[in-house]
Amino acid sequence: MIDMNKTLGIGSKKARLIGVILLLILAFTLPLIFGMNLYLLTVLILMVIFIIYASSWNFLTYTGQGSLGHAAFFGLGGYASAIVATASGLSPFITIFIGGGMAALVGLFIGIICVRLKEWFLAMVTFGFAIIIQTLMVSQFAEISGGWDGIAAPRLVPSSIPNYQLIEYYSIVLIAVFVILLFYFILKSKIGLAFAAIRENEIEARAAGINPVKYRLFAFLVSAYFSGVAGALEIHNLGYITPEIFGVDISFWPIIYSISGGLGTLAGPIVGTIFITIIWDGLQSFGLTYLRFVIIGLLLVLIIIFLPKGLISLPDKIKGYLEKRQKKAQ
Amino acid sequence: MVVSSDLIIQVMIWGLYAGCIYILLATGLNLIFGVMKIVNFAHGELLMLGAYITFTFYAVSGFNPYVLLAASLPVLILVGVIIERTCFRPILGTGKLNEIFISIGLIYIIQNAAAIIWSDEWRTIHSPFEHITLKMFGVNLPLDYLIIVITTISILIVLFLFMQRTRLGKAMRATSQNRKGAMLMGINVERMDMLAFGIGAGLAGAAGTLWVVSGQVFNPYMGSIPAVKAFAIVIIGGLGSIPGAIIGGLIYGIAENFAILTLGGAWKDAISFIILILVLIVRPTGIFGESAE
Repeated sequence: MIDMNKTLGIGSKKARLIGVILLLILAFTLPLIFGMNLYLLTVLILMVIFIIYASSWNFLTYTGQGSLGHAAFFGLGGYASAIVATASGLSPFITIFIGGGMAALVGLFIGIICVRLKEWFLAMVTFGFAIIIQTLMVSQFAEISGGWDGIAAPRLVPSSIPNYQLIEYYSIVLIAVFVILLFYFILKSKIGLAFAAIRENEIEARAAGINPVKYRLFAFLVSAYFSGVAGALEIHNLGYITPEIFGVDISFWPIIYSISGGLGTLAGPIVGTIFITIIWDGLQSFGLTYLRFVIIGLLLVLIIIFLPKGLISLPDKIKGYLEKRQKKAQ
Repeated sequence: MVVSSDLIIQVMIWGLYAGCIYILLATGLNLIFGVMKIVNFAHGELLMLGAYITFTFYAVSGFNPYVLLAASLPVLILVGVIIERTCFRPILGTGKLNEIFISIGLIYIIQNAAAIIWSDEWRTIHSPFEHITLKMFGVNLPLDYLIIVITTISILIVLFLFMQRTRLGKAMRATSQNRKGAMLMGINVERMDMLAFGIGAGLAGAAGTLWVVSGQVFNPYMGSIPAVKAFAIVIIGGLGSIPGAIIGGLIYGIAENFAILTLGGAWKDAISFIILILVLIVRPTGIFGESAE
């Protein structure tokens, strides 16, 4: 039996709707409440970009795949978008989708190799591809990628426009809403059912006439495409791109966000990204540098051991615990 | 560039030396995988810890760093046992992705704890033999390399004897062959897990010590790449196959050094993954790997 609730999130339909509406209201009013606080706005923009990125990474897990090298797509999207935008003078709003296309193209190639692999093998190959692409960028393609120095990228919204950061923030939020809605509709459709069937039992899925290779490849493509878009958004926000973007950290962040929120759910990466960002920037304001990595690592280990379904399962867990106590008391 | 036979032998020696480090790491990973059926992606962090613990002992005592290997090994085994008990035991059997994810957590914890304790500067240990080079068959063979190769071989022989001849080793092999069966025979499989992880951590620590004593610079983030390569070797050699790990380690060390020679230093890390990907395209379960589970 495939439980759609499990695929889409937890809680009742009503609770989910309220959560989504609250989140949207918060996303649109937060910068207005705090006024034009530049630091807050920067943090929020990066957070929303990482929500797109983490959601795209998480999209893979619906088919039971995982990747340790999504930085490859994140970075490729960034590079392609930066190069095209600089060379053609097109607005980054258009080139981010070209960047995504580039990431998806390479994703297709990697995906064809990866669809037959599982678990550790898949993890290793994806990890390896991130390193291979980084190496290519600093050696063979150094002329167009600027080598280790990287290249400049035009800003998403030109800084000559007043309140350009605010416009950037709202556009990125809109893109995030669009991406997550798209994921929602894909998962609600027959494709989503096929994903769940492949994840739960591949042999049975095959028997039911589902071609796992086709669906895995599709998931890989979609995931790579929107990771590329997220990468492009980030570099147009920062204004430059260097090969550091292919680093292990960039590959690991979406994993940390998705796990802490809840794997294989739409809400998971969103909740996880917000939660970890708050802790991360909170710790930074205390002046902790290395210790905050240690704390994030500890949190991750604790969540995996004690909350394997992520933070979004916390309300259910507390409810279950309270009911148990009540029963005992009676 | 003229490729002479001397140059090829020289590169082979570099490869043999790098291969020893990979063999130690890969054997440890394989041992852990064999017994527990998990993969510790944070294995490189144990290598790094081994390097730093030897470094600390060296800074305090000033002894020959090769001798200090005997002191840092038990520390690493203890670290391994603690990690196994606190992190991997609770998630045993909850899915393969969880091991990868918990390792990511461990990587962050260990790397940055090391950065807090020892700072993130690059450090070196100077071997007392660093200027001694033997001339053999027309090529230069640094004495350090020879010591490392001999140490690696001795460690592997001791491990082999332990696994083949002692009761504990037999129990470990039984556990890796059939966990349930071993349990029915009265073997404490959880103790075997602990032991395997401890030995694996010890081997990683030995690899780290040998790596830095031979003159390599190190910092808290040095472990990740060698560990991933070691894991790639394990995959090529076949999960759970120790002879596979040894052959794979040698192939990797040599291939990597030939790649530096022909393609340039930037390709050092990428080449190992290209080999891995090529192998996996042809054989999705590795060269010596049995059928996927």
